[in-house]
Amino acid sequence: MSVLIIALNTFREAVRDKILYVLTLFALLLILVSRGVGWVSYGGELKITTDMGLLAIWLFGAFVAIFIGTGMIYKEIDKRTLYTILSKPIDRWQFVLGKYAGLLLTIYVNLALLSLILFGYLWLMGAPIGIAILQAVALTFCEMMVVTAIAIFFSSASTPVLSAIFTTTLFAMGQLTKWMVDLGAIVRNASPWVGKVMYAFYLLMPNLHNFNVRQEAVNAAGTAGALAIPASQMLNAMVYGAAYTAALLLAAMLLFRRRNF
Amino acid sequence: MVYNPGIFQKRKIALEGLDLEVPRGSIFGFLGQNGAGKTTAIKTLVGLQYATSGRAWVLGADIRERGAREKVGFMPENPYFYEYLTAAETLDFYGQLSGMPRENRRKRAAELIELFGLGHARDVPMRQFSKGMRQRLGLAQAMLHEPPVVILDEPMSGLDPLGRRDIRNAILGLRDKGCTVFFSSHILGDVSDICDRVCVIHLGKKISEGPLHSLLSSRVLEVELAASGAPAEGIPEAAALARRAWHDGALYHLLVDSEEAAQKAKAILEAKGAIIRLLMPHVESLEEYFVRVTGEAPKVPERPAHGGSE
Repeated sequence: MSVLIIALNTFREAVRDKILYVLTLFALLLILVSRGVGWVSYGGELKITTDMGLLAIWLFGAFVAIFIGTGMIYKEIDKRTLYTILSKPIDRWQFVLGKYAGLLLTIYVNLALLSLILFGYLWLMGAPIGIAILQAVALTFCEMMVVTAIAIFFSSASTPVLSAIFTTTLFAMGQLTKWMVDLGAIVRNASPWVGKVMYAFYLLMPNLHNFNVRQEAVNAAGTAGALAIPASQMLNAMVYGAAYTAALLLAAMLLFRRRNF
Repeated sequence: MVYNPGIFQKRKIALEGLDLEVPRGSIFGFLGQNGAGKTTAIKTLVGLQYATSGRAWVLGADIRERGAREKVGFMPENPYFYEYLTAAETLDFYGQLSGMPRENRRKRAAELIELFGLGHARDVPMRQFSKGMRQRLGLAQAMLHEPPVVILDEPMSGLDPLGRRDIRNAILGLRDKGCTVFFSSHILGDVSDICDRVCVIHLGKKISEGPLHSLLSSRVLEVELAASGAPAEGIPEAAALARRAWHDGALYHLLVDSEEAAQKAKAILEAKGAIIRLLMPHVESLEEYFVRVTGEAPKVPERPAHGGSE
């Protein structure tokens, strides 16, 4: 119950903060402008709009997760709002989980809003809303679950600047994990040791590349009923996302448990 | 209680061997200079910091257990709240966290908002609140779920006289309802006005504790006399007994060191035809006591900033 109370309060605070509206407006603008870019491209108006729309939604989610999430717990400590909360009969893990759930709810409500606007926009342009686009959006939601957990993990142990640097680095590296394993396979012949290190790195880093099916969705968008990726692959990505998030949140709760304020 | 200020910095002892017992239903004043360890002790009691050794209980519940916090209302020094919530929403949020049913928390919030004169600011976001208003709301959130124990860290710091009066009255009201109040303060006048018992700590160690009247020396430090009808040039025989003699309008004042000297001066003044208007012995005040007991101890060394603690 306490997790829900903290989550809903975090959501309420976030939606009253003007910064969120600025970011949402920026993402909306990117979706609307995409049509203009589509006009100058040869025969790919719908594809460009779909591609840029999905990119805008993804960028918005990542931006909010990193820039609000990384300061979230530190701000509570710095502004001392935490003192009156932790002295109430709640457990510390409930606080961490509540903050995480509140931010994720904020991101999800905004992503849902932007997705609906994109779908409406595409519908107005006469494009069918295929299952492939829904898959891309669903996996973006899944990716934000992981990115928000990374941000909260660092925020529970570090300052906003350091947390933002660490989270952005991990977010960027997470997009490149597939390349890491490919590169590891190439260098394995030259140096087996480097290959092994790169593989270990690949296992440890968040494999955010798993959630990026935007290009596949754009390619499949024209064909009714076509999937961006097979359902089994999508399920694998979602289970991976949930497991990685659970591990990060558990670590964040453990770090937070014995801290002195 | 030991804390580690950084990887390469020396560990500091913030509190050492602090042994306290706060009687139920009393107002307990917790005194000490800046850096003495008052906030550290309070944060430990409410679960914000962990003691490296030792234990404490609140009405029989171990402070490390969540159950102890159900019995405690806490107001930190200079409390801060979520900027975008209104006063009513803020209290409702804390009421929910304390497990209060909706009807009960709405009723209590309305009562407390009125009690602390915040009715006009009920729906005003916290970012527009002044320091005094935040302080009042801080006490309101600590009292919201009617806890049997209330712990307040510097509840009167930075308040104007009216604000201090309101907080003082609220603390007395809590005691009247049987609540135990434990608070730290720098404002010794307020402490001596309302506390049943005090504890003084210095450099993390308790240096005295007990009922206020038993701690203060009952020895008369000085006696002030005032008489009317004395000549303008004063009365040299009486002035010779005094530490200081002066005229203030129609009154001739003498400040003497003992009751015996005061009686002699009184006899001389009356013999010279003056009429005694005031004869007041001064005993030790809490401030003088505080200076006496902490003044003997070494000065507080500079301590690195530590999470808002003193």
